[in-house]
Amino acid sequence: MPENKTVEYGVVLFRSVSHALRGERVTQEAGLKVKLIPVPRQFSSNCGTALRFLWPDEVAVRLALEEARMEVEAIHRLE
Amino acid sequence: MTKIVDARGLACPQPVILTKKALTEAGQEPVTTIVDSPTAEANVSRMAQKAGWQVAVEAQGDATYLHLSREGTAAENLALGRAKVLPAAGPLVVFISSDRMGRGIDELGDILMRAFLHTLNEVAPLPDTLVFVNSGVRLVVEGSPVLEDLQTLADQGVDILACGTCLDYVELSEKVAIGTVSNMYDIAETLLGAGKVVTP
Repeated sequence: MPENKTVEYGVVLFRSVSHALRGERVTQEAGLKVKLIPVPRQFSSNCGTALRFLWPDEVAVRLALEEARMEVEAIHRLE
Repeated sequence: MTKIVDARGLACPQPVILTKKALTEAGQEPVTTIVDSPTAEANVSRMAQKAGWQVAVEAQGDATYLHLSREGTAAENLALGRAKVLPAAGPLVVFISSDRMGRGIDELGDILMRAFLHTLNEVAPLPDTLVFVNSGVRLVVEGSPVLEDLQTLADQGVDILACGTCLDYVELSEKVAIGTVSNMYDIAETLLGAGKVVTP
């Protein structure tokens, strides 16, 4: 089970694994705590890898990805 | 008196932890754990079997009753036609001989191994032991991207063994962050005594 139950996470879905890797790099460079995980079963994505982040960081994550001009497929909150 | 552990609605590893505590307190008395997910059912059953308890599984609506007993009680339930008894199984061992999953594309292999170890926390059954050898030992040292996942597994009672020779060879002996540094005797015995060995 994901680590701490009280921590809320979100995931970014990307179009490809290489986008996910780049997404990980730019968000880490922005000082954000992220982690590449398999796309959770409740979401569908052609790329099997998603970027998990702390939900309170949502705006910062979107901003970091935008600044790097990265396209994202979707951003979801993890229930 | 049968002690009842109602673990419905609880997230992993709570059902396992509560059952373990109840078994310790019960001594020889039977314990029944009520769960409502296949993951909890598998993980509680595995832990109990490993600790020498018989497990009888009884489905009741959305819930599953796991009747845990030393001798007899499980057989009685079986005779009453209420439950099936799970076969005894040897330990489930995951043998990780590389820091990557598969061969051919290194960067992809990194992602796949990280994904695999993360997913072990979310699927059933829970392995009993993870054995790390060769470049696999890079996953148990400081700075490894999977330490958090390995810690969650360890918290649920999964043993983590890391090959000491390998750590020494890659000069990371001082950087071990999780698990037990082990030798080839332990590793060979773990593999040979396993019910099943899985190599990602």
